[in-house]
Amino acid sequence: MSFRVVLAKECIDNMRDRRTLLSSFSLAALGPIFLVGVMVFVLERALGESDEPVSFAVIGASHAPQLMRYLEDQDTDIVNIASADPKALVASGDYDLVLVIHDDYADRYMQGITNSLTLAHDSSELSSTRQQLMKLNAMLYRYSRTIGMLRLQLRGVDPSISLPIVTQELDIASPAARALTVLASLPYFLVLVIFMGGFYLAIDTTAGEREHGSLEPLLSQPAGRSQLVLGKIVATSVFGAVGLVLFLISLYIAVPFVPFERLGMALEIGVWQLLGVFFVSLPLIFFAAALLTVVASFAKSYKEAQTYLTLVILVPTLPLIFAQLTNVDATLSTMFVPSLGQAGLMADLIKGDSVPALNVAVSMIMTGLWGAALALIATRLYQREGILG
Amino acid sequence: MIVVDHIVKRFKTVHAVRDVSFTAQDRRVTALLGPNGAGKSTTLRILATVIRPDAGTASVGGLDTTKKAMAVRREIGVLPHNSGLYGRLTGVENVRYFGRLQGMRGSALEQRIDALVEQLDMRDFAHRRTAGFSQGQKIKVALARALIHNPQHVILDEPTNGLDVMATRSLRQIIRGLRDDGKCVLFSSHVMQEVAALCDDVIVISQGQVKFDGPLAGLCASDGTEDLEDAFIRVSEMMNNEVAN
Repeated sequence: MSFRVVLAKECIDNMRDRRTLLSSFSLAALGPIFLVGVMVFVLERALGESDEPVSFAVIGASHAPQLMRYLEDQDTDIVNIASADPKALVASGDYDLVLVIHDDYADRYMQGITNSLTLAHDSSELSSTRQQLMKLNAMLYRYSRTIGMLRLQLRGVDPSISLPIVTQELDIASPAARALTVLASLPYFLVLVIFMGGFYLAIDTTAGEREHGSLEPLLSQPAGRSQLVLGKIVATSVFGAVGLVLFLISLYIAVPFVPFERLGMALEIGVWQLLGVFFVSLPLIFFAAALLTVVASFAKSYKEAQTYLTLVILVPTLPLIFAQLTNVDATLSTMFVPSLGQAGLMADLIKGDSVPALNVAVSMIMTGLWGAALALIATRLYQREGILG
Repeated sequence: MIVVDHIVKRFKTVHAVRDVSFTAQDRRVTALLGPNGAGKSTTLRILATVIRPDAGTASVGGLDTTKKAMAVRREIGVLPHNSGLYGRLTGVENVRYFGRLQGMRGSALEQRIDALVEQLDMRDFAHRRTAGFSQGQKIKVALARALIHNPQHVILDEPTNGLDVMATRSLRQIIRGLRDDGKCVLFSSHVMQEVAALCDDVIVISQGQVKFDGPLAGLCASDGTEDLEDAFIRVSEMMNNEVAN
């Protein structure tokens, strides 16, 4: 079989090209690490802030010793200030948040009249004050409600009469599904690394071969054009597959570094899930290689091919963007579209959802057929004299 | 034996070959002589089965180049215009690749490679990557690649282009050796001395037509001159005037 001879030669030839290796596999190997790095950074910041105690200054703490004891028992960091203008304190930047307890607090409290406390802050400042403000407000509300209920009970009234409605949130998303929203960009990466893996090989074996003048002697060898083309497409597929494997390994190593458990989420990407992703992506690898080969065959030169293929790489991501904007789920009909089907299957596999065998079959067969059609077109191209340029 | 019978080839705007017929015998070196753009390369590409003639036929060893292209490809060894090597493969790897495409395997292939490395004096550079090779080294590797399956017909497109004196001499010896082995050698050139030094038969092509076909001595005799260059120019011009008239 000549196709195996061509396959072996193209793989060896391109493995010796550092530029090809670098551009083919750097995204695949480093993408997940980069993605996880950004995620960890963002999460650490968000989590770090919410763990901080609520720090604020209090003016007139002596008027409400009971309230102050309550606040001090909470996760707070309180500074007492004798007397000052709260506006000036915030404006000067000395304190982000100032609680003002007025002089008549104790009297009004005793009489059962509503007490108004002032919370001074600067909402135009880009800082964590907003979160702190919400927390302090929540503390004060809880305190106020507790006192209110106690008062009602003292008067022999059921406190629940003052609470006609309470809400309770029930989030049905599994913890892993919530984590996946953070990892929503993974399917893009999946498609991209497959195409990037074969990118330079598709150029080198077609436009590059012609530019170097080796195409003509190759075509005068007694090997069928379909064998030559298949050898080139499969070689491109091999690089696409290596890209995907590197990507999955990198993902496997990087994902455990994300502090999902601190978000109350769980995401474990196991070996079997990754093998599943690889398996359902196999036809897409061939499809990508055939598409890249066909387009690169039209180019007159290496540079022209680079320009064309850069555009081609965008094409398979379009269905993904469309699907995300219009909220298309991984239904059976999406399985007919190459790249969209695999992205849906990958999302399901990583979420740990069950993947219908019919969807897998339709996706794999349809993408495989598309790939075969493109391979046929490539063969036709190489049967024409025009391929010599 | 290579037989070309009234072939015509037109590209989009260029009428590359208008009417070319000739025969290249076994055990002879036949030269296709003509200026740049005369149709030499197009004729050789038709014989190499990479393009098909619009009209007329060409056959190699009695096999039609369009109808029996696969069989013809086993019968010919082609040295292309530029050597067309893979720069990241070594000399031997380049040769081995084409040997495998010719269906050769294992020790038979390796022995043949070793023999060619010896025959073409490639020992010093055969196992280096061809990217940095001199023109002479490249031609040798490309020639070894063309000869790997020991074809009966050897087609060389301007083989001495860019070679220095020593490399040219060594190539001439190789080509004579092929002829003495009984091969049919067809090469194109626009260099007069090359043809005079090497070939047995000459076919002069100009503007896509054959202007002369016969033994080397005949070309000068037909014109009554000793100088091949003068003879060539006169043959070319004579025919051009006929076309113009």
